[in-house]
Amino acid sequence: MTLLQRIKDLVRSRSIHVSYVDVGSCNGCDIEILACLAPRYDIEQYGIYVHNNPREADVLLVVGAFTLGWEEKLKMVWDKIPEPKAAIAIGNCPISGGVFDRRGSYVDPPVSKHIPIAAEVPGCPPRPTEILSAILSIRDTVFAGWEVKQR
Amino acid sequence: MTEWLYEQDLVSQKYRILIAHEHDQLIRALASDLGVSVQELRRYMIEHIDMILLENIPARYKAAVAAGADADDPVARELGRDIFSRGIPLIPNQQMEEILKKIKERIEAGSPVPEAVAAGKAMVREVILR
Amino acid sequence: MKRTVDVNIPLGPIHPCFKEPARLKCETRGERVIGAEVELGYMKKGIERIMKGRPWQEVMFLAERVCGICSVIHNMVFIEAIEKISGIEVPPRAALLRVIANELDRMQSHMLANFSYCYTIEHETLAMYLLDIREQVMDELERLTGARVTCAYIVPGGVRCDIRNEDRDTLSASLDRIEHDLHRYAKMFETGPMIALRSKGIGILTEESALQAHVVGPTARASGIAVDMRTNHPTYRKLNFAPVVRHGCDNYARVMVRFDELSASIGLIRQSLRALSPGVIRGGGICKAGTLRYSGEAPRGELTYSITTDEYGRVAEIQIQTPSIMNIEACCHYMIIGVDSIADVTSAFVSADPCIACTER
Ligand code: SF4
Repeated sequence: MTLLQRIKDLVRSRSIHVSYVDVGSCNGCDIEILACLAPRYDIEQYGIYVHNNPREADVLLVVGAFTLGWEEKLKMVWDKIPEPKAAIAIGNCPISGGVFDRRGSYVDPPVSKHIPIAAEVPGCPPRPTEILSAILSIRDTVFAGWEVKQR
Repeated sequence: MTEWLYEQDLVSQKYRILIAHEHDQLIRALASDLGVSVQELRRYMIEHIDMILLENIPARYKAAVAAGADADDPVARELGRDIFSRGIPLIPNQQMEEILKKIKERIEAGSPVPEAVAAGKAMVREVILR
Repeated sequence: MKRTVDVNIPLGPIHPCFKEPARLKCETRGERVIGAEVELGYMKKGIERIMKGRPWQEVMFLAERVCGICSVIHNMVFIEAIEKISGIEVPPRAALLRVIANELDRMQSHMLANFSYCYTIEHETLAMYLLDIREQVMDELERLTGARVTCAYIVPGGVRCDIRNEDRDTLSASLDRIEHDLHRYAKMFETGPMIALRSKGIGILTEESALQAHVVGPTARASGIAVDMRTNHPTYRKLNFAPVVRHGCDNYARVMVRFDELSASIGLIRQSLRALSPGVIRGGGICKAGTLRYSGEAPRGELTYSITTDEYGRVAEIQIQTPSIMNIEACCHYMIIGVDSIADVTSAFVSADPCIACTER
């Protein structure tokens, strides 16, 4: 591993920009992500910044069981995120549809049909600490040595 | 073929709002009151009303009825002026006032009230079917 | 209708200030907003359709997941509707425990709403303070019900678990702490000159248009309409509940109403803790067939369930009317008309505490 790569890894590990997109959830998982901002969990001490701008994000948190309104749009949001990038599915909804995946509903889970998902955090909703640790574990497995892996 | 950049075709989604239980009942009642088919009324609503207002239609209707729509004016009440122009904004206020004026003139000219109101309803229907 | 507009500015569906996806298309002339159109459809899951034909044991969990922020009240209104249909009595201790869970839920929801507002007007300090005490409320909710968000605490005939004596003491101790902090933050909001510049006189919703759009909850109470479904609820009546009303009609009034209601909620919880007498927490009964329209007061306003059940306790027909439908409508068609800049659109929108998940279900 070159020195340049090591510097890149170091910098990346302390600066993760997170954007979240809600593709038809019940809001339960949304507010648990918001709770991560609270001083108690203090997401910024790990160098994670939550701001909803896909164009400067590294990690996309996907919440909710894919509704039809997002059909083309989620892909567009995903394409706007610069490389390296990773998507995390938060909650049961994006993983399997959870309670909403029944006959007659308007959802189309799982989200991994539409964009590649790197990690899944099950729970209805998962606790803020679990969301936090998922983001942190993504950092080491996906972002470390990204250029090397590309070659 | 139109290419959508951001704008999606919303007709199917608006239709989904309109087929919910309460909306459906209300729209059927309104349609039979006006004498148009349910499909025509739905089409008109989908074209003219935005999504959040569509969701709110039953509540607005109830609020308009509870507020005693046109309690002071029996002819306007028969025509449903407040309900169709303010409660559920199907028809612009001005147009509704014009229709009301026309049927009032008719009543003054001697035609019986139910007949005049029916003529007014026909005018409303014309606006919707256009 | 044809109108001259300069630019049509779309906000959303992904926007830093919105927690949930909605699309606001603002028509502007110069900087002034002259109209707005809302485009939804990003959250339509069709919950009412999947509720149909299912037994209440399943619908109960679906009802909770209509909205995650105010899950306790969805649970409560659904279960109380079922109880009313079947004539099931609730033991007094359980009724009071329901009030406690409901008020804790209302507190966290109002804190989240005020957090969002402060965040939108870029007052991050106050926002973080509020989020911090919200965590304490969440702790209490978790200690009482066993889960943070979707807790399924209320079941027909009572509640699921009792409050222990030591938990009662921790609850009242932390209520004291929360009240002390809250008082300070409310003062900060009330007297902040910069906050006043961004909030006073912005997003006016007059009483007349509020009545027309059938606005409910804190948004209505900030426009001088004293509607609160809690005044019709038997347990709240016993606790001598009176709604909080303000006449400011603007963003500031709406946020202050929520601050006032937070104190009122703390008072209600204290009262019910005092009134709590030992006894059973679960009664019994048989679910019957019937039709009912039942309302309760969610943190955002009046929540109505129209339910038809059959003799096996299955839900045959259901329609949910959530408060956000009315509030967002009023917000987009009255409140943000005529605000001076696009920056005020987001703050007016957030001040009505919109919840898109409820709106579309
Ligand atoms: S996983 Fe559960 S809490 Fe999260 S959005 Fe889905 S239903 Fe709501």
